Amino acid sequence: MLILKALYRGPQHGYAVAEWIQGTSQQVLKVEEGALYPALHRMELRGLLKAKWGASENNRRAKFYELTAEGHKQLLAESRRWARLSSAVAFVMQTS
Amino acid sequence: MKQDAHAFLLRLKALFVKRRLDREMADEIAFHQEMLKEKLVRQGVSLSEAHHAARLRFGDDRRWHERLRELWQFRWLENLRRDIGYSVRVLRKSPGFTAIAILTLALGVGANTTVFSIVNGLLLRPLPVPESDRLVVLGISQGRPNPDYSFPEPLFRNLENRHETFSQVFASFGTNAEAKGNSGTERVRIQMVSGDFFSGLEVAPLMGRVLMRADDAKGRSPAGFAAVISEGFWNRWFGRAPDVVGQRLRVDNALFTVVGVMPKRFTGTNPLERPEIFVPLAAEPAMDGEQNLTTAGLHAWWLTVTARLQPGTSVERANAQVAAASQSVLKELAPDANWLRQRDREHFHLVAEPGSAGFTYIRLLFTKPLVAVFAMCGGVLLLACLNLASLLMARGAARQKELATKLAMGATRSRLIQQLMAESLMISIGGTAAGLAVAPGIGGALSALLLGGQSEVNVDTSLDIRVFAFAALVSIVATLLVGLVPALQATSSGLNEQMKQGQHTTQASERHRVLPRVMMAFEVALALMLVVGAGLLSSSLIKLYRSGAGFDPRGLESIAISMDHQPLRGEALMQFYQRVGEELRREPGVKAVSWQWIVPLSHMTWDESFDAAGGKEEDIHENSVGPEYFKAMRIPFQDGRDFRWNDGHGGGEKIIINRTAAQLLLSGRNPIGQVLSKKDKDKVIAYEVIGVVGDAKYEDMRQSVPPTIYHAMTQADKDEPPSFNAVVRVEGSSAGLGAAARSIVQKINPDIPAPKVSSMERMVDESLSAERTMALLSGFFAVCALMVTGIGLYGTLAYSTARRTTEIGIRMALGAKRVQVARMIFAQNSAVALAGTAGGLGCALFGSKVLASFLYGTSVRDPWIFGASIVLLALIASAASLLPALRAARTEPMQAMRCE
Repeated sequence: MLILKALYRGPQHGYAVAEWIQGTSQQVLKVEEGALYPALHRMELRGLLKAKWGASENNRRAKFYELTAEGHKQLLAESRRWARLSSAVAFVMQTS
Repeated sequence: MKQDAHAFLLRLKALFVKRRLDREMADEIAFHQEMLKEKLVRQGVSLSEAHHAARLRFGDDRRWHERLRELWQFRWLENLRRDIGYSVRVLRKSPGFTAIAILTLALGVGANTTVFSIVNGLLLRPLPVPESDRLVVLGISQGRPNPDYSFPEPLFRNLENRHETFSQVFASFGTNAEAKGNSGTERVRIQMVSGDFFSGLEVAPLMGRVLMRADDAKGRSPAGFAAVISEGFWNRWFGRAPDVVGQRLRVDNALFTVVGVMPKRFTGTNPLERPEIFVPLAAEPAMDGEQNLTTAGLHAWWLTVTARLQPGTSVERANAQVAAASQSVLKELAPDANWLRQRDREHFHLVAEPGSAGFTYIRLLFTKPLVAVFAMCGGVLLLACLNLASLLMARGAARQKELATKLAMGATRSRLIQQLMAESLMISIGGTAAGLAVAPGIGGALSALLLGGQSEVNVDTSLDIRVFAFAALVSIVATLLVGLVPALQATSSGLNEQMKQGQHTTQASERHRVLPRVMMAFEVALALMLVVGAGLLSSSLIKLYRSGAGFDPRGLESIAISMDHQPLRGEALMQFYQRVGEELRREPGVKAVSWQWIVPLSHMTWDESFDAAGGKEEDIHENSVGPEYFKAMRIPFQDGRDFRWNDGHGGGEKIIINRTAAQLLLSGRNPIGQVLSKKDKDKVIAYEVIGVVGDAKYEDMRQSVPPTIYHAMTQADKDEPPSFNAVVRVEGSSAGLGAAARSIVQKINPDIPAPKVSSMERMVDESLSAERTMALLSGFFAVCALMVTGIGLYGTLAYSTARRTTEIGIRMALGAKRVQVARMIFAQNSAVALAGTAGGLGCALFGSKVLASFLYGTSVRDPWIFGASIVLLALIASAASLLPALRAARTEPMQAMRCE
């Protein structure tokens, strides 16, 4: 879900995805590369992401991932589920 | 679901761009590392430290690769690839085992594929015509268990115009004929076909046009028939001339104009025929002259009738419809009341049967022997599989430590089974390939052997999709049979204990030994059944040969001289035969020459009813023979005199009868001078018996000798067929006889086609070809079975005994004598064989009933054959058990105990 969200803004390479998640979560969520890349590849295989090679900001060849229509749908479904889940958890925690 | 499909497609693509994918993965990770390093450098870390940090964080590149690559692979495919690679290495390490395994299986698969390819060619392969499943074969049920498939011409003509059920009904008749042209006279295979034959089969000609209804109209001038020729005949006779259409051709007595050429694969409705000329049915009277089958009307049953169903009609419905129409068909034919009454008595009705594979009489004769041979083949294959399974089981036990190590290192049981199955898959693929490679050659030889008696028969045993499918099925079944049980057993749960305890564990292996023993017993039982079957069939064959033909076939040649299309008749014809006979007699080595109309064992029959002593009518077989016939045939004369060339029509009809006829018709009276009579239409013909001869087989070696009357050929009616066969008794080589006969006949009249020589000895052999082949094949299978069983028993027993070396060592150390040890092992092993023999005996007693219809003068429970088979098998089983027992007895106790 986090990866999908990271790519929501547009095509990104793996490093940028990791940086973005780490930066946006204010270093709370650390992304292990050992988990990141298999996840990216798995999503590519499932057709949620599309990959193509392009030039990075510092002009080097990098693999950019982009959300497909399927990926957009998945992101929407997962963020809805997460919203429901987190509000439910928050609700439970508030009741004393 | 959709995501799975997406992944499947990408993985499939990945199979082909593997290297690019690997490179891209490496690049992606490298890029990440670079970015990370740059970030660290930006944060003020030195380059080398950044490098080190990145390395630390990522670890080994290869591991990364492995993880990502796994995602992009089909796991099962990758596993399979690895298993196969591993199996090949394992099998290559034990070439002896591999060779035996592949050979055993190749034998089983090869035999089965061979027999199946004959079954396929003879019974299954559809005719090469469009929508062959819409073809049906019509038959006539006359109260017998099997319908007849021959129709008289008027009956067919009546059916031809009935289109309620069929779009076309068409008839054909295959026969030999003489084609005459500039290059001489040649015997060719022709097919007489009705008008709708080609339109019903829907096969387009290679050139020109096919025969149509208008070509099959009666009453055309004998000069104006159309004919279609085969591609083969076009090549041979016309040298592939492009202007063949329109050429004239004389076949028998009629002139034809070639109108078209049919492609090579077209065989008509009989898949075993290779007709060279197709002529209209209406040309038959013109071709055959006075004695033609068309004029014989309802008395000549000769046509094979096939039909194409109307679209959407099922065979069952067609069958019901033709059965319902039978009575009206008979009425329309309006034959004489007598004929109709007889049909009524026989419950005459028409039947329609599926005809997609066409129709051939051979099928009626050979289906049962083929199925029996096929079953025996299956038995051998099963035996081979069982044998391999027990060998593999023994190997599996030997590899228990290897497997246990693998299990201990985390391999799942299913993966291990997969891997062991891959091994048996490799063996069965090897065996199947080897079997398939030899199948077509053996198939051709085997079908030649099986159908040897039937010239004019061509079984196409080439490999087609059905044979391959069969072989694939066989190899899959073989893999499962061979591999699954040993794999399951080898990986069963006790493995860890096995590893802990090594090979001492007699308790654990006791349980393991039960299954192989059951399998061995089963193998012995199967082998016994095959041996008994082979024994019964061979003894039946020997009895057939011993019972004899009644004449001496050795050195006896039959020469067919075709005079049907010559003008000679009556006296002149007899003078011709007498002259040919005298000239043949002068050839070197020729001891006697005579003539016969029907060649014994050629399946031709001539029989009529004669009045017997008690006023009863008896059905008697007849033949028309020349003087000195019985001397040439070496049929003993019991009484009376022989025919003479001057026995003309003058002095009354003279006959010679065989012993059976004398007993049946004259019951004990002195036969010489007696008069036998037969009714012919409204007059009675009387025959004087002038001699009695010994019994000789007539139609078939399998049938008992029928009562037979021999007529003098010199007294034959003028309108009887004029072609006789010379019987020549030759001492020494008969090689030059054909050429001699040809030159003698050609000298008298060059128009007479070349005579055809056939050896009577071969006729006897061919008459028994089905029996001979079955006996030969079953003998072969039985030997294979014995060999396979012997090897299997020895292998398994030797192995299981070897595993008890330690136990034996201990027993001997405790004071057991060598003889005792040997006796113990032998007793245990032969118990297996005994159990198998008992089981096999039961099955064989029960199963040999199936063979009853193939046996001649042999009981299905012949005690001698059963006894001999059991003794033979017991000997082999004992030999196989004795060797391991002796080896066990030689065990040195100290060595046995020290080796662990």
